[in-house]
Amino acid sequence: MTSSASITKRLTLAVLLLEFVAALVLIATVFNHERHVQFTVFMTNLRASASALFGALQEADSNDANIALDTRGLSLPPRAIYSVSDSIEGVLGTQGQVPLITAAPGTFTESKVGGRAYLFYVLTGERAIDPGKPFAVIHHVRIVFGLPIGRVWHEIIEAVRFFAIATIVLLGITAWLLTWLIRRFLLPIWQLAVEADNINTDNWVFNAPASSKRFVELRPLASAIETSVLRLQHSFEKQRRFTSDAAHELKTDLAIVKSSLQLLQMKRRTVEEYEHGLSLGLNDIGRLEATVQKMLTLARLEQTPKNDAQTCDLTEAVYEAISQSQPFAEIKQVPVMHDLQVRDAIVPVGKEDAILLCSNVLVNALQHSPLHGRVDVTMALNAGSISLQVRDQGEGIKQEDQPFLFDAFYRGDESRSRKTGGTGLGLSICKAICDRSGGSISIANHPGGGAIVEITLPAVRKDHAEGRST
Amino acid sequence: MRVLVVEDELRLAANIVAGLREAGFAVDHAADGIEGFDYAEQNLFDLIVLDLMLPGRDGLSVLRAIRLRGIHTPVLILTAQEGKSSIVELLNSGADDYLAKPFDLGELIARVKALIRRSKGTSSPVLQVADLSIDTVRQTVSRGGEDIDLSPTEYRILEYLAHRPRAVVSKKELLEHLYDYDWEHHSNVVEAHVSNLRRKLTVKETEPIIETLRHRGYRLREGGEP
Repeated sequence: MTSSASITKRLTLAVLLLEFVAALVLIATVFNHERHVQFTVFMTNLRASASALFGALQEADSNDANIALDTRGLSLPPRAIYSVSDSIEGVLGTQGQVPLITAAPGTFTESKVGGRAYLFYVLTGERAIDPGKPFAVIHHVRIVFGLPIGRVWHEIIEAVRFFAIATIVLLGITAWLLTWLIRRFLLPIWQLAVEADNINTDNWVFNAPASSKRFVELRPLASAIETSVLRLQHSFEKQRRFTSDAAHELKTDLAIVKSSLQLLQMKRRTVEEYEHGLSLGLNDIGRLEATVQKMLTLARLEQTPKNDAQTCDLTEAVYEAISQSQPFAEIKQVPVMHDLQVRDAIVPVGKEDAILLCSNVLVNALQHSPLHGRVDVTMALNAGSISLQVRDQGEGIKQEDQPFLFDAFYRGDESRSRKTGGTGLGLSICKAICDRSGGSISIANHPGGGAIVEITLPAVRKDHAEGRST
Repeated sequence: MRVLVVEDELRLAANIVAGLREAGFAVDHAADGIEGFDYAEQNLFDLIVLDLMLPGRDGLSVLRAIRLRGIHTPVLILTAQEGKSSIVELLNSGADDYLAKPFDLGELIARVKALIRRSKGTSSPVLQVADLSIDTVRQTVSRGGEDIDLSPTEYRILEYLAHRPRAVVSKKELLEHLYDYDWEHHSNVVEAHVSNLRRKLTVKETEPIIETLRHRGYRLREGGEP
């Protein structure tokens, strides 16, 4: 089962998640900061209120050097509770139920009053009546002032709530905007996909949409599609041409065989006529067989895995090919001159393929040689590779044929047509053998006249070869 | 009847030429498009068998060039190519028929005969001139219900004349259409054949059906006329 994932959803989710985490951090920071600020304010307030109370202690109207608390004109925060006591007179004034606080002066203490949390500040001070006089009385005043903490928390929570709501709204807007934006940004990909979808075996045209070329990120994709379409088209066309050419070739050979036999059938003939007709027919079948054989060879070379690790001595293969083509060379009266001075020319090609490669090139050279011409075969060892050159004295190759020489069934001109017995597969087979072993083959015109075929094959070290030689 | 075979594949051409000759045609062979066009241009043929893939000049181009010259000889195309589109193109370019390789030699000959018949204005394989009946398939001749035994050359002369009854056919035309270039021939050979033919066709005291017009040629009479 395949699950489909959406980039839009994922991106949106990722951004929202990040934003959510950021919001959480923000809220935590706000909470911390707000708590600090609010508590500082709260404590200052407590201290100030306690000081105000202290200030509200006045000399009592009586003459006994007493002090009294006068809260008139004093604005204290609501729900404040306090107690003011004097070491001499005792409690001077209270508001609310102040618990017993034994904390040191100048400190804050938390305590519950009637189920509510309060923070108390303890203030002590001296109040002197008639200071500087001998009868001065010094009152040690202790003020415990408390305010409910709940108010502070309320402030903090209000602030946090504001940020939380703002964050949620922001998340919503971001999600909506993000979806829209991503869709917009992904549009070129859609367009690219639609264009790519139009490619098929009848229509190899791929024009990357302008939108996809505008984006740096999409440009590689668009150009990758373009080049692979071209490559695919090339190989598809090649395949199609091969199939069509192969069909053409086989049909022509079949037409010959069929018509030869039907000709015999047209009327009663003499035994000699039948014998002659049958031998012609057998020749025709032989050629059909050769064509099929070459097609199969080509298919085998192009399909079987490359790492079959066969090696052989190229020099031996050349000698074998020369001796195989000897009868043909004699008919054409073309001597094959060879200069094979390379020792241990081990190449990563199977022996049969190597002989096939050499004899195809050799026969090709002989076919294009004029009567009494000559063919030169030379071999050279270069850095890590072995090159084999076969030169004929023929007319050379035409410029317009150059790109197609190794195409299957390509016959350059009339002289290369079926009349000369070639199937047009020889050079294709050579190329397939060279390609398979990591080598190369090329044909050029020799400055001194004639064509020269150069085969380059990688050299295999002898000790290495002996281990794997088959 | 004289047929031109344009085919580069020599073994196939040899078989077609041999088959057509055995079927009573005079056959010439051209091995490439350029030679093929040179032959066809002379307008001596009753039919052209044309291969498509030819060296020098491809079959389609030869066909178009022939038609452009106003030569209306029937053309039978041989093709090994696939695809309906190319067939449509062929027929639209002036081909009369086509055969896909590998074809049947017998079918090729039958189509050649049918195309020639049609181009001469008749579709029946049996030609009737007065009481003379010529079966072009079995290549037999009878007059007034009586079979007449003719040599192949005599038959060919008679068939050619019968395709154009009442028209004067010159000796030169007969030579051109009944012999290919491979034959050594002289006009008195034709005269000898025509005189033999006239003798054989004169059965039961009937009038000679072939007239000789001095310096003009021969004519096949259609009953009753002087």
